[in-house]
Amino acid sequence: MFKGTNASAGIGIGKAAVIKEVEMVIRPDKVANAQAEVERFRDALSETVARTKALAEDLATKVGEKEAEIMQGHLMLLLDPMMTGEIENGITGDSVCSEYAIETVCTTYADMFASMDDELMQQRATDMRDIKTRMQQVLQGIKPVDIAALPAGSIIVAKDLTPSMTAGINPANVTGIVTELGGKTSHSAILARALEIPAVVAVNGVMDQIKEGDSIVLDGSEGVVIVGPTDVELAEYTAKRDVFLQEKKDLERFIGMPTVTKDGVHIELVANIGNPEDVTKVLQYDGEGVGLFRTEFLFMDRTSMPTEEEQFEAYKKVAVGLSGKPVIIRTLDIGGDKEIPYMGLKKDENPFLGYRAIRLCLDRKEDIYRPQLRALLRASAFGGIKIMIPMITCIDEIREAKALIEEVKRELDQKGIAYNKEIQVGIMVETAAASLMADVFAKEVDFFSIGTNDLTQYTMSVDRGNEKISYLYSTFNPAVLRSIRNIIRCGREAGIMVGMCGEAASDPMMIPLLLAFGLNEFSMSASAILKSRKMITEYSAEDLEAVAEKAMSFTTAKEVEAYMKEFVNQ
Amino acid sequence: MVRAKVVIRNLTGLHLRPAGVLCNKAILYKSRIQFQTNTTTANAKSVLSVLGACVKSGDEIEFICEGEDEQEALDSMIKVVEDGLGE
Repeated sequence: MFKGTNASAGIGIGKAAVIKEVEMVIRPDKVANAQAEVERFRDALSETVARTKALAEDLATKVGEKEAEIMQGHLMLLLDPMMTGEIENGITGDSVCSEYAIETVCTTYADMFASMDDELMQQRATDMRDIKTRMQQVLQGIKPVDIAALPAGSIIVAKDLTPSMTAGINPANVTGIVTELGGKTSHSAILARALEIPAVVAVNGVMDQIKEGDSIVLDGSEGVVIVGPTDVELAEYTAKRDVFLQEKKDLERFIGMPTVTKDGVHIELVANIGNPEDVTKVLQYDGEGVGLFRTEFLFMDRTSMPTEEEQFEAYKKVAVGLSGKPVIIRTLDIGGDKEIPYMGLKKDENPFLGYRAIRLCLDRKEDIYRPQLRALLRASAFGGIKIMIPMITCIDEIREAKALIEEVKRELDQKGIAYNKEIQVGIMVETAAASLMADVFAKEVDFFSIGTNDLTQYTMSVDRGNEKISYLYSTFNPAVLRSIRNIIRCGREAGIMVGMCGEAASDPMMIPLLLAFGLNEFSMSASAILKSRKMITEYSAEDLEAVAEKAMSFTTAKEVEAYMKEFVNQ
Repeated sequence: MVRAKVVIRNLTGLHLRPAGVLCNKAILYKSRIQFQTNTTTANAKSVLSVLGACVKSGDEIEFICEGEDEQEALDSMIKVVEDGLGE
């Protein structure tokens, strides 16, 4: 059994198709007629361009425009005048063969990309090596491996899949992918997920130990590869595959369905996102909006403050992408656990109790908070944006932030800039103080969102990163549950929406309790949405009240967990 | 020779796709089109050269155009960047 990185979920069962590229030996052979050699290079280049175009078109129809972009990118690189110029200069200057000139120039660029301090740029190194090999193959008359021709039930086993190889995959015939190299974000992993082919990557030694035609079972969810499975294993994984496919089909039925409990309670099922690109996933899994858009990404990994304009573009993109659905955007939640030199943020002795989130923003209104609020208000003209303030502990913070929002609104009015005048402003309820004051705060804001990760940490006084005390970190602790129940009750009494954007919102053992408490909105990672919708529609909120009452009668987290586990599994 | 500065606004900076949009615009002009960053000079007609400059969101670059259609080229480059390079 081999262990690797789980790159694309699902179970693959089939026969190994070992993909080996013909090794090319590239030597600095001299050529007599350099001009003729340049012509030879140009012919090979146009042939490579033609093949790449065909791959791009094939991929666009088979998978989608977005996946074809990888090949479009290769076309741009192949047609780059600087690269082709350097290759031609190499040929004429040193009178060497095209293969060698290509090797030198493309390797230089690949190395340049590989050394860049940027993951996206580093991926370009793979692209450069891929186009290099393809040009050389054309020159040498070597046929590229024809992955498209693999028979049904094939499991591709390769050192690494180049983007051009992956583009040739016929998902009807390929039931799995195993590679020795690669990672979760490499081209082949991304494409495997888009094609929904189970894949395990970064598996050490597979090329030496798997032979053509070997029987293989792979679990792309767990990152396991079994060569020559026993009958028992084969039966076990066949059953697992059927369950996986059935579950997937079951969940797909819930796309487009409303999230309503058996007794008619409407629930808002929304997604947590970290950047505008995540909107695609939200739509894919039929999220009903965004319950938490973390804005920290705009401020990380850079050397200067993002401008209002930049922020506006990012917020607008999400608002437009979700075409009017609710989008709750959390204002900057950053503090001394991260060092941000351009902000003058230093490592804090006690960062989670320190200078962070709203405390920092209200202290730095002019350079941080005002530009962010302006960008948010301006973007609110384009969709269902709501503003959410993190880490509130006392009412003064709410009032001060709201006063600033009103001030910014007046500025925008004076300049005649459009924004949603009815924009909702809510708070994260995640500190013990906010929970105890929830009845008072509920009268000052338009909505609550419970951040269970921090609420648990602050209620239990437990550092969630500290392994030694991790036994204390449980949302099922009666103290945390009481707090959650109180927050929801206070919100409902004041008639405002109460949501939850912590991990607990998608926990199958927690969902029945939250429904019984009366939570209105559940926000989670997009991939958990359909599963949660299925679960919610199977419950009746009224029936769950007895379950919640029983759960709340226990005095330890263990008892609550055991009870809920039993309830969910019955 | 004409020159003008502009700030890169799209979130990912000059990655492959936006760089491609930039180059496709630049090759429409006869003039030599370059841009300077704090550290380097890049040829706007070469996607590799543009990528090599490693320009991030928020960075300021200065276009320098030289040739018969230089003013037209410069205006067009500034506009394509301000329009977000297709993002």
